[in-house]
Amino acid sequence: MDESALERYFDDSIAGDSSFLLGEELGPESLDPAHSQQDSALQAVKAGSGAELGDELDLSFLPDDLGPQEEPDRHDDTAGGPAEALNVSGDSGVFTDFISQDSTAANSQQGGALLTHSTSPFCPMTPMTPMTPMTPVMERSGIIPQLQNIVSTVNLSCPLDLKFIALQARNAEYNPKRFAAVIMRIREPRTTALIFSSGKMVCTGAKSEEQSRLAARKYARVVQKLGFPAHFLEFKIQNMVASCDICFPIRLEGLVLKHQQFCSYEPELFPGLIYRMVKPRIVLLIFVSGKVVLTGNKL
Amino acid sequence: MAYQLYRNTTLGNSLQESLDELIQTQQITPQLALQVLLQFDKAINTALANRVRNRVNFRGSLNTYRFCDNVWTFVLNDVEFREVTDLVKVDKVKIVACDGKSESTQNKVDK
Repeated sequence: MDESALERYFDDSIAGDSSFLLGEELGPESLDPAHSQQDSALQAVKAGSGAELGDELDLSFLPDDLGPQEEPDRHDDTAGGPAEALNVSGDSGVFTDFISQDSTAANSQQGGALLTHSTSPFCPMTPMTPMTPMTPVMERSGIIPQLQNIVSTVNLSCPLDLKFIALQARNAEYNPKRFAAVIMRIREPRTTALIFSSGKMVCTGAKSEEQSRLAARKYARVVQKLGFPAHFLEFKIQNMVASCDICFPIRLEGLVLKHQQFCSYEPELFPGLIYRMVKPRIVLLIFVSGKVVLTGNKL
Repeated sequence: MAYQLYRNTTLGNSLQESLDELIQTQQITPQLALQVLLQFDKAINTALANRVRNRVNFRGSLNTYRFCDNVWTFVLNDVEFREVTDLVKVDKVKIVACDGKSESTQNKVDK
């Protein structure tokens, strides 16, 4: 019951927001008390704005049930159409199931407020009490995050003379006063390695796991060619950073309200919301624009 | 002690060859030649630091770099050296740079 109350809260806030959102396009029409006039005027304007919204909001990632939702966008009430779209955008994957039920219902009941549907008896597929540490299973979306950086470590398992390496190898920097490692770079794959005198090495900058391994092997070969008995032990990927764009704006405050035990959001410190997902153990930086950065993934 | 960086320049090399000739003909001792070279180091460092005012810009693509013992070594390709008056294009240039106390960098150029 807590949950439906929360959703009602959401719908109320969204209903308020949507009129604000369309306010620019609708103008005084949204305030028109005459319902029939409003509907037809709205439909005309909605066709335009819905098309705009549809173009900007790429809803292709939503489950197939929601395919026809773009049509109801044009026919529904002010609160209905964009509210549905915004509901989808603002809430978790669980709610999309909700919406799929609603869209078919809304199709038949034109002009019916979404607000009544939100308290329908349809239950979400997974329990969503605030105390549950698990994040509910997401519907499969078409968005694939792009890997931006991989950090890996490997043990060459032999002590290294860093000064000798810095003098002999190309593209190497060694400033022992500042940092006790040789910083070496290669062009293909474009990566940077920190090589320590113990024989341990950190390889950063690769765009895929295989590239990271290949790059680490190339550095090991450089060290080997300089005369050290280098091996390639315990190659391990320590961190993977990826980014993606979900193509619609996100209301971070709403996210904090619903997932407060996972989120930390201090807009005065950093404009992104830090979402620490428990399973899988990933940290996401979520921004208002809809850009998401995922990190903390160890292989 | 000043950098001995400039001994392998046109000027420095000519000095070293002349000193070697004098040593060969027994006109000076090797110790004296060493003192001359040390004085040359001091003189060239102060001269470049204080008496050189012009500025040259250069642009090229970096082939390799190295930083060890506070000495930068670069190899650039297809470099254009541009001064206000003239332009010099070079296929390959090796730059050896030591830390300047002020903002001057010393370099030697090989083609």
